Parts: sequence; structure tokens; C-alpha cells
Amino acid sequence: MEKKSKSIWIAGLLIAGVLLALPLVAKPYQISLLTEMIIFSLYAVSYNLLLGFGGLLSFGHGMFLGVGAFTTGAMLQRIPGLPFFGAVFLGTLLATLVGLGLGCLLLRHKGSYYALLTLAFNALFYAIAIKWHSVTGGDDGLPIKRPNLHLGFFQLSMTDVTTFYYVALVVIGCAVLFCWYFTRTAMGKTVLLLRENEERMQFIGYNPAVSRMILFTLTAFFAGLSGSFYALFFKFVGVDAIGIDMTTTALLMTFIGGTKNFFGPVLGAGFYIYLQNFLSNITDRWPLFMGILFVVMVLFAPRGLAGLIQSLVGLLRQRKSRQAKEKNTPGD
Amino acid sequence: MNVITIFILHGLVYAGLLFLVSSGLTLVFGMMNVLNFAHASFYMLAAYFSYSLLKWSGHFWLCLMVCPLLLFVIGAGIERFLLRRVHVLGHVHELLLTFGIAFIISEIVKWVWGTAPLPMEIKGFLDSNVNLLGVVYPTYRLFVLFCSIWIGLLMTYLIFKTRMGIVVRSAVDDSEMVNALGVNTPRVFMFVFALGAALSGFAGVISGPLLSTNTGMATSILVDAFVVIVIGGFGSLIGAVVASLMIGQLQSFGALLFPKFSLALIYMLMALVLIVKPSGLFGEKK
Repeated sequence: MEKKSKSIWIAGLLIAGVLLALPLVAKPYQISLLTEMIIFSLYAVSYNLLLGFGGLLSFGHGMFLGVGAFTTGAMLQRIPGLPFFGAVFLGTLLATLVGLGLGCLLLRHKGSYYALLTLAFNALFYAIAIKWHSVTGGDDGLPIKRPNLHLGFFQLSMTDVTTFYYVALVVIGCAVLFCWYFTRTAMGKTVLLLRENEERMQFIGYNPAVSRMILFTLTAFFAGLSGSFYALFFKFVGVDAIGIDMTTTALLMTFIGGTKNFFGPVLGAGFYIYLQNFLSNITDRWPLFMGILFVVMVLFAPRGLAGLIQSLVGLLRQRKSRQAKEKNTPGD
Repeated sequence: MNVITIFILHGLVYAGLLFLVSSGLTLVFGMMNVLNFAHASFYMLAAYFSYSLLKWSGHFWLCLMVCPLLLFVIGAGIERFLLRRVHVLGHVHELLLTFGIAFIISEIVKWVWGTAPLPMEIKGFLDSNVNLLGVVYPTYRLFVLFCSIWIGLLMTYLIFKTRMGIVVRSAVDDSEMVNALGVNTPRVFMFVFALGAALSGFAGVISGPLLSTNTGMATSILVDAFVVIVIGGFGSLIGAVVASLMIGQLQSFGALLFPKFSLALIYMLMALVLIVKPSGLFGEKK
């Protein structure tokens, strides 16, 4: 056990080191692609807290990202001189409040009913975003000016791609690590209980409604945070940010990456953004290939990329140990 | 007065379409416990099929007969070869699969027919107006209303008066028991799924000339049909009828009275039902 946790630490530090050092060698274009991957990985991780850990299939995650993005955008436009983190804070706050409110309405439901309700609410938020022209800009969207980051004595210019990359990496990296920490706490464990056996959970004395509520609000918080960064990254928020397609994106990323593993969605987000970037150069109809990939994975690899990698590693290890055995017993 | 009559009629016509889509959805859900996200995609697919067929042959009646049949076959194929495979993996996978299928269908439609809305023109006697209750009303809209009432009656007969209907109704209640009694439930599932697809397809064909054929039509009616199911109650056919009528009128008069909030009205109704009676108006508490 000790050996395993040690190797996880080493792998984690190695990845962090690579991510910190990458801007020294990468081109600006690649850095911004990487920033996009980081932002979406938080979005996918927060979605997986619902799907993989809570066992709740939601079709409304896009609304939290959208609320975060639109609030950040609208506030930056309305309040002159709003600081960077002020905008992020407001966006995240509103998304969390929306999560809390919807959680109250939804906490009694689960399964298909829950899926359907979340989809309906997502459609409602989309309709609001289109109709409320004075705040959201309607179909035209909201252009945003990225404010500079004031840190006491000096300020960081956010127009620089690399600086924004580092800020996003630190903030979102911390958020992802917090999600990981959450799954290990007693609170996070009750969420697993929620998925595995709710009756028993009630029997022991936990309240599933409260757990579901906390989980829902927490995922709304993280999706809102990623939404704020989404707005600041693209310097623009359109109705795409709150539409059902955005929810689909979360679902595809999470499922392709693997729902059973905490870091599966991170992998999925990276893979999705890369593939999207790669395919959209070749064909306009890249979502079709994404969809086919998704259906094939649902049918044949329900544990996602992370699951595939795990079974591959397991296979290699087996072969190695078999080879070692054969070497040790040359007489056979 | 005339305006009110017209808007009531508009609401009824939309309610008819909504009923055709949501009745299949609610039956499939009641029986197989699968919330079919691809249901509205069948509707969209049929509308595009009929657009092409109409362009090629020029006969709307032909579309009305051929497209639902095509969708029946497609629906049966999807149930037999895809959905049945993931059934053992559980709910979430079934939902994900239908979602993936919906996604693929919508992309294929965009690829083949493009993203611009396609107008469908109807010739002959359907393309005229009639005098009804003192207002001049398009014949085609009345035709849509007539079709949906007719199909609704046919379905009621099938479900409540035939042996097949008895099997379907009992499978909605307890499919395991029906299976134990010697009925081939997988085949019944396939049939009902395909029938739902065909109904949805029929709705797609008749909606083409009414609400132009476009790539967003699936999502918009899917969400409305979901709201219908939530309000009417899962698996309840009567609930689907009543909720469709409510949504139809609400949407029609919402557009007349509060054009800015008409979209939000149906969600408010849904939220209200959720708070007052979470299982829906005609749903059984589980």
C-alpha cells in the first residue's frame, strides 16, 4: 500500500513539473490549447463527481458552466474596474446559488427522472440566455475584456497567454485536487454510499437527500468556477456556453475518459480537446466522429480510456510476472 | 373572440403533435424503464426523410405512409442490436446509449441535409383555408389535429381492447411477471419501441409543413415531451393526453399574452407540479 501511494506522489509531482515547465518550450498556440484542456478538465471532473461517484446521470451540467461564464462576463461589463478574482468569485457564487436552488427542487429524484428534469432545466436556462438580451447579449453573446491581476505590489498582465496559463493551472489545479481530496473525506464517502446502497445508508442513519444536495451544490460550484475561467479564456461568452451541447461535452469527456477513475475525466478532457482540434482541421462534421466514438465506447468499453489503460497495464504486468516465473524455472 | 378561437385551435394542433411524440416516449419508459433520448431524433429523421421523398415523388400521402414504416424498421433495429446489448449494464448505460444515438442522428442530419431550415410545401386540398366557427383556418392544421386524434383513438383501442394491448399494459406494470407467464417480453419490448419510433416518425412527417424542418426541431420537441411526461406522470397515457393539452394551450396563449416569457411558462408549470405532486398528475407513486 505504502509503495503504491508513493508512486502516486511521484507521478503527481512529475505531471505538475511537466505542466509548469511546458510553457518554456511550447508555442503560444499550444499553450492556449493546454489552457483549454485544464479548464475543461475541472468541468469534467465536477461532472464525474455526479456521474461516477454519486451515480447521478445529469443532463444539465452545462447550465452551471453557463451561469458562471455569463455572470463573469456580465459583471465585467457592468462593473468597471472589477478585479480578476472578483469576477471569478461572482460567477462561481451565482452558479453555486443556482445549484443550491435547483438541488432543493431535484433532491427527491434520481435515475431517469433526475436525468429528465436536469435536461428540462438546462433548456430553461438556455431559453433565458437567448431571451434576456440586455444582460446576456442574446444570440450575439458577450465580448469580455480580461482584467489584469493585481497582486499587492505588482500586477500581472493577463493578455499574455503564458501568464493566464499559469493562473489557470494554479487555481484549477487546486480545485481538481480539492475534488480529489473530497472523495477521500467522510463526506465524500457518503456520496459513494449514495450510489451503492441508499436504503442501507438511510438505515445506518445518514440522510441521502442532504448528501445529494451537498454533492449537487459542490459540483455546481466547480462547474461555475470552470465557467468563469471559460469566459475569461475565450474573452467571449455565447449562448453555446449554456446550451445542451455544453452538457453533452461534459458527458462525452467524462465517459470517454472513464467514470470509474477520479483522473479519468481529466484524461478525457485532454483527449477530447485534442481530438476536437485535430478533427476540426480535417472535417466540419467532427461531432459525428465524437458521437460514434462515444457510442462505441458505451457498447464495448464502458470503463473509458482510463479503464482501457488499467487493463493494458494489468495485462503487461501479468505477462511480466509470467516471464519472470518462466525464467526462474528453466527446467519446465 | 376570433383571436381566441384561433389560438385555442393552434394550441390543440400543437398538443396533438406533442401527444404523438410523448405517448411513445411514456409507453417505452413505462415498459422498459428506458428514457429514450433518441425518441425525438426519430421525429426529426422522419421529417427530413419526408422532405426528400416529397421532393422526389411529389406525393405527400406517400410520405405519410412510407416514413413511419422506415422509422419502425430503424427503431426495431436500434432496440434489437444496440439497446438490448447494454441492458445488462444497467440504466445509466441505456440512457447514455440513447443519448449517443440522438447525438449521431442529429449530426448525420446536419451532414446530409445541411443546417439551413428546409421549407416543405403541400399541394392539393390541404393547402387551402376553411371557415370554422367564424374564423378562417388553414386546412392543413385541422388535418394535423384530425390525424393526432385519430391515432390517439387507434392507440386507445389497441391498448385497451386487444390482446396485444393487455400484454403491453401488464408489461408496464410488471414486466418480469409477464415474462414468467410465458410471453416473449423482449419481442414485445422491440415491438413497442419500434411502434413508438413510428409514431414519433408520423408526427415528424406531419409537422414538416407546419413548423419547417430544421436541425433544432428534435431538441425543442424532446424537452417539451419530457415536460409532458413529468406533468402527466411516467408511463401514463391519459397523463400524456392531459399534459399535452395543457402545454399546447399554455404555449399558444403564452405566445399571445406574454410573448417574452412564453418559453418560461411551461417550466414554471413543471416546477409547480414537481413541488405539489412530484409523481405527476396521473403517475403512480413508486
